[in-house]
Amino acid sequence: MKKLTRKKFLKLSTATLGVLLLSEPLLASLKFVPEIDNPLEFYPERDWEKIYRNQFKYDSYFHFLCAPNDTHNCLLRAYVKNGVVTRIGPSYGYGKARDIYGNQASHRWDPRLCQKGLAMVRKVYGPRRVKNPYVRKGFKEWLDAGFPREENGKVPAKYLNRGKEPFIRVSFEEAAEIVAKSLLNIATTYSNDSGKELLKQQGYDEAMVEAMHGAGTQALKFRGGMPLLGATRIFGFNRFANSIALLDKYIRNTDKDHALGGRLWDSYSWHTDLPPGHTMVCGHQTIDFDLVTVENSKMVICWGMNWISTKMPDGHWLSEARIKGTKIVTVACEYQSTSNKADEVIVIRPGSDPAFALGLANVIIKERLYDAEFIKGHTDLPLLVRMDNLKLLKPQDIIKGYQPKELKYAQLLKEGEKAPPPIKQRYQIMSEELRHEWSDFVAWDMDKNSTVVINRDMAGIAGNLAMEGEFQVETVDGQKVNVRPVFDLVKEHAAYFTPEVVGEICHADKDAIVRLAREIAANKASVLVSVGMGPNHFFNNDLKDRTIFLVCALTKNIGFHGGNIGSFAGNYRGAYFNGLPFYIYEDPFDIELEPDKQSRIKSYYKGESAHYYNYGDRPLRMGNKLFTGKTHMPTPSKAMWFGNSNSLLGNIKWHSDVVVNTLPKIECVVVNEWWWTASCEYADVVFAVDSWAEFKFPDMTAAVTNPFLQIFPRTPLNRLHDTRSDIEVLAGVAKALGGLTNDNRFVDYWKFVYENNVQAYLQRIINNSTTLKGYKIEELEANAKEGIPALLMTRTYPKIMGWEQSNENKPHYTKSGRMEFYRDEDEFLECGENIPVYREPVDGTFYEPNVIACGATGLIRPRGPKEYGLAEDDLSVEARQVRNIVIHPAELTKTKHPRRKDGFTFIYITPKFRHGAHTTPVDLDIISTWFGPFGDIHRRDKRMPWVGEGYVDLNPEDAKELGINDGDYVYIDADPEDRPFRGWQNKPGDYKVHRLMLRARFYQGLLRGVARSWFHMYVATYGSVEGHENNPDKLARNPRTGYQAMFRYGSHQSTTRAWLKPTLMTDSLARKEYFGQNIGKGFAPDIHCPVGAPKESFVKISKAEDGGMNGNKLWRPAALGLRPGYENESMKKFLRGEFIS
Amino acid sequence: MKNKVYNWQIKRKMEYKYPEARPQKQAAWVFDTNKCIACQTCTLACKNAWTSGKGQESMWWNNVETKPFGFYPLGYDVRLLEMLGPQKWDGDKYIGKTIFEAAPYGEEMLGWMPEEEDWAYPNMGEDEVNKQIPEKANFTLPHLSWMFYLQRICNHCTYPACLAACPRKSIYKRKEDGIVLLDQERCRGYQECVAGCPYKKSMFRAFTGKSEKCISCYPAAENDYQTQCVINCIGRIRLFGFKSNYDKPIENNPIDYFVHIKKIALPLYPQFGTEPNVYYIPPIHVPKEYTRQLFGPGADAAVELYKKAKEDKNLVGLLMLFGATDKIIHSFKVEGDMLDGHCIGYDGEGKEIVRVPLKEHVIIRKEYDEKQDVYRASVT
Repeated sequence: MKKLTRKKFLKLSTATLGVLLLSEPLLASLKFVPEIDNPLEFYPERDWEKIYRNQFKYDSYFHFLCAPNDTHNCLLRAYVKNGVVTRIGPSYGYGKARDIYGNQASHRWDPRLCQKGLAMVRKVYGPRRVKNPYVRKGFKEWLDAGFPREENGKVPAKYLNRGKEPFIRVSFEEAAEIVAKSLLNIATTYSNDSGKELLKQQGYDEAMVEAMHGAGTQALKFRGGMPLLGATRIFGFNRFANSIALLDKYIRNTDKDHALGGRLWDSYSWHTDLPPGHTMVCGHQTIDFDLVTVENSKMVICWGMNWISTKMPDGHWLSEARIKGTKIVTVACEYQSTSNKADEVIVIRPGSDPAFALGLANVIIKERLYDAEFIKGHTDLPLLVRMDNLKLLKPQDIIKGYQPKELKYAQLLKEGEKAPPPIKQRYQIMSEELRHEWSDFVAWDMDKNSTVVINRDMAGIAGNLAMEGEFQVETVDGQKVNVRPVFDLVKEHAAYFTPEVVGEICHADKDAIVRLAREIAANKASVLVSVGMGPNHFFNNDLKDRTIFLVCALTKNIGFHGGNIGSFAGNYRGAYFNGLPFYIYEDPFDIELEPDKQSRIKSYYKGESAHYYNYGDRPLRMGNKLFTGKTHMPTPSKAMWFGNSNSLLGNIKWHSDVVVNTLPKIECVVVNEWWWTASCEYADVVFAVDSWAEFKFPDMTAAVTNPFLQIFPRTPLNRLHDTRSDIEVLAGVAKALGGLTNDNRFVDYWKFVYENNVQAYLQRIINNSTTLKGYKIEELEANAKEGIPALLMTRTYPKIMGWEQSNENKPHYTKSGRMEFYRDEDEFLECGENIPVYREPVDGTFYEPNVIACGATGLIRPRGPKEYGLAEDDLSVEARQVRNIVIHPAELTKTKHPRRKDGFTFIYITPKFRHGAHTTPVDLDIISTWFGPFGDIHRRDKRMPWVGEGYVDLNPEDAKELGINDGDYVYIDADPEDRPFRGWQNKPGDYKVHRLMLRARFYQGLLRGVARSWFHMYVATYGSVEGHENNPDKLARNPRTGYQAMFRYGSHQSTTRAWLKPTLMTDSLARKEYFGQNIGKGFAPDIHCPVGAPKESFVKISKAEDGGMNGNKLWRPAALGLRPGYENESMKKFLRGEFIS
Repeated sequence: MKNKVYNWQIKRKMEYKYPEARPQKQAAWVFDTNKCIACQTCTLACKNAWTSGKGQESMWWNNVETKPFGFYPLGYDVRLLEMLGPQKWDGDKYIGKTIFEAAPYGEEMLGWMPEEEDWAYPNMGEDEVNKQIPEKANFTLPHLSWMFYLQRICNHCTYPACLAACPRKSIYKRKEDGIVLLDQERCRGYQECVAGCPYKKSMFRAFTGKSEKCISCYPAAENDYQTQCVINCIGRIRLFGFKSNYDKPIENNPIDYFVHIKKIALPLYPQFGTEPNVYYIPPIHVPKEYTRQLFGPGADAAVELYKKAKEDKNLVGLLMLFGATDKIIHSFKVEGDMLDGHCIGYDGEGKEIVRVPLKEHVIIRKEYDEKQDVYRASVT
């Protein structure tokens, strides 16, 4: 009410008084109960409005960094009232981000956050916070009993009831002591010959035991999940693994040159995020680009990459580019979120992507639309292949006594010489030995009509080289050999993948293939191909990369701001911080205690693929052959400690098998967490760590999809629980180890943590990183506290990989210095993959799994099953991984998956979606309620495990054929050979917990035979099933731990398993090392190693229960006629727009 | 007693309970449906700020639903359309019945009361398409099978149904900014507003015995800040500001520009007759029949204009400005051209708040920095 004071009244002129009378009825303000004539015009009593004003007020705000593995890293502003964070908002600081040169980002970057970040208020303060350290009851009993063991060293089963016992609260110091004692005991047990003997008795593969070299410390596995997410606290696990060399010295009394640290599990490749064919084509992890660059392109192809759902803060770049004329195309196995932003939608069969790419290549080559100059200079396509042995022709084959010329643009290391640190590097680096092993290459010079030597200094330079034809050369021992350029082979191979054939294989429109190919070729250096994890999660992922790369290379769409290939998944590129060796490899025997001084490097830990642990802690041995290369060989896993990663156990592929069959072999499982996940459910020790809003130590990260350098600032929010920083946990266990071994170096190694000066470690990393040098950590953190990030100083902004190669003719990181499409290593020849063939998925297909589709059979010489001692028709799950059988592409769709005869009909995919970043923070009530159609905050249907639940999307015709209604509960069963876990037939109690049951939703965006569930939901555990069956309200909550499942039974991981592909386990592939310009060969974590294939699942789906409550058949929305497949007359009119004419 | 009021969205006078009275300026929003990614960040921003209290569990003042199978609450629009029956437009004039004109005897408007269970499943229909995609699906515009995202808040209508429905006159429209508020002290929980609002944005809270609705974040708006759902929108699809009267639009006022000058942003279900003040740029990939049903006959032209946006640097510039600042932009200007131009947003006094480039710049750093003695490489 506008009060009319006496003063004001007297001040008014008559005219205004008149107006006032009309607009504010005086009579009304004089009456006791206010009369309101026209609420559109005037309302007397507005004092109540203060309610909402007070609610909105805040006392202060602070910024913190939210960084799950989504690749964005958003500085969030937390608004505080009475010491409590009541809401979160954006910082609006991105437009202020600068580098040391004064380059600045614009406010087109703002705002940056997401709904999951906003939900953090309920996670930071949530009931399932890990509030203090915990030890599992049975584990503590084992420790207290003095670590008793059976004859063969195994832990007695009574101590291994993981997931079924209560946890005991302990102090942080106690927990650290427990972990230290356990690591010491386990490493000691398995050291030396006595340890070897025990491991052999326990049944570990001999090669694995040998790989330990007698050090029990090599059986300790560590992992900070996606370590780029925390340069000191998550990469800290690497540093800890390095310090374990001190433990080895203590146990075996070795000298410091022969001590061995722990084993470090991979991240990028573990998540199946690494596109393994990128390493094969360009020699390093991935060529990709900051998503902002989409507005530099004329067309972007979102290929199995659901951009707007999985890269949400960068979704606007896509839509803004579209406004300005960029054409958006989706190539995916469904009508997905991003499809609704697309100018063209192309739907293909899941996992058939390499064939689709070959179809595009077929058109581009046939119609000669490729950029000959570009491919002559930048690819191996003009290099000659010997048709006698299918090896690349080498100069020494035809030139007697050939000596490779000195390279101008490479640094060679003599034997024993170490590479300079990345901060001092200019050129690519390799050992002289490798230089000579790889030597140079040969092409056919059209002007001279003879061979010409091509070396890596000639990268990017196109001569008049032959692309097609067959030529003859004479070898140094007098043989006449036919040779052909790689392009000629690729052309012959691609000719079999006509649009007609590819249309049949991919279940795709053949005319769309032709049009798309022509459009890509017409837009050289202007087409961005953003490939996602849809295609990458299939067994043929390396072939998918090689073939899509081929299409991009043919059309000059590599290495330009408007034209490039990209692969998008998690936040993997720790290499941005290439000064990290000074932190993670600091010599634990020679520690630098002065904060301003440089540390000394000595690496003691070994990297290893976690897929072997996933696979049952064994390598790939099939028939008479060991397929896992020597450089890849894992060791037995007797202890594991990980942080920031639920994907290593809670949400692991083949989760059920790991829990039932593999975990019992692992003696100690330690998890750092701030929220109670399924990883905690199965752990022995859980360390309670700070939430991101409570950081008391700064840390640092960057992103693969945006150009920002980010600091995790320390926050003023008091710790809510008995938590520590991840880095304090590492330092605490180190301290305990120091006490047990009497070695103070354990403590010195974390000195700056105890002194609250982690900045010293950060500044060392900064000073030694090519993208960071020049920054000061104090300034960076001060800006972060204001919500302002900095810029990563790579060569370009936005950053794109491949820029120097395509724009400055620098070499790629391959043997030839060019993008390589031909692989002549023995391992590839043996698999029939010297040329980029097409392979069917290994399980998720209607057709013959993993069969090679190739028409140019003269160009490949795969070793068949018989040569491995396997039956040719052995299509069992295991044998398939190494089965090299070839069929003609046109015959492919006549084949059948072996389980089709058993009523299996669905390819079951489990992609990522918008409501979770992995499993963060999907079980929060307000997120769960929005996650899909079945969210009900009041949980009226008591069968629901929680206020939201996992569900499967089904094509309605498929569902109806199976008698399944929208909203019903269904079972999903994958191959009974090994899923949900090996031996399920004899373990009915476990089977009940792990067999997948979930709701079904009719989804018209799917093709027939394809079913889809999201990957994020919290799995059912023994405790949650117990709760679901015994809690009075049937909540699927573990009565002991409070763990909240989103499935009644099983999970999406009940249908997945581990897969090992032979071409990913070679000892011969050339690749850049993780940090710096050094090129080596063989195993390299996150670069060349197995990646798994979690979308590979061919399943059977059957009805479990009616969707309706209280005896009703249909769930209510379907019964009301508002669901697809159940539309009532009004809905039908509504869909057709008929309520208006 | 009914009054005759002018509704510019249906280009005629219509019946309404109270006499016509427009605010001095109207709080209004523009939502570009083409940019929405359905991330629900807006939804949770609103929830955290306003509806995290007891009894508000199923209350979502902001929601983003996928059309056509998404609704919150269940079937809110199809059920009302069903009650109203098929209606007609004559060019850009609506000649069918509004909900006020179709009011049953004794009621203020045509309406219906949702069941409690209708408020469950807020994300019903997420990402669901209107009809089965065929095998070998290949769509260009318009998509044969389609879905799109529709963002919904209270529309702070010029002729609010909730306001007309309330027997106690507990709902009012602020004269200074057109924000419609539900007096928490005066409300007695009759829920006539819940039944009356065609958009179902008035919601009953049993715990307090009162109904609540979106308040246009007036504590922020009064201080020249945009609403929570706008400043948290990472799709950068939303703009909040103050619209002038339909007959006196100001060309450099962003809201006026979209709504009255370019006519590219349209009201939702104008046929209901409440003159809502949230304006949508319609989805360009959805068939015309459906977009007309939702946004009126202006949808066709709006779609064509958006498709040709790249020919209009003012339109492009303003669309790039969404999300650049949390302050209200009172006027804007575009300088330069598509490749190197900027769009600038000004406050109520004409002072520059923020500027954004129409295209983010590309920087190539020097390969070797002598001072730092370091090579700045891309592959590290």
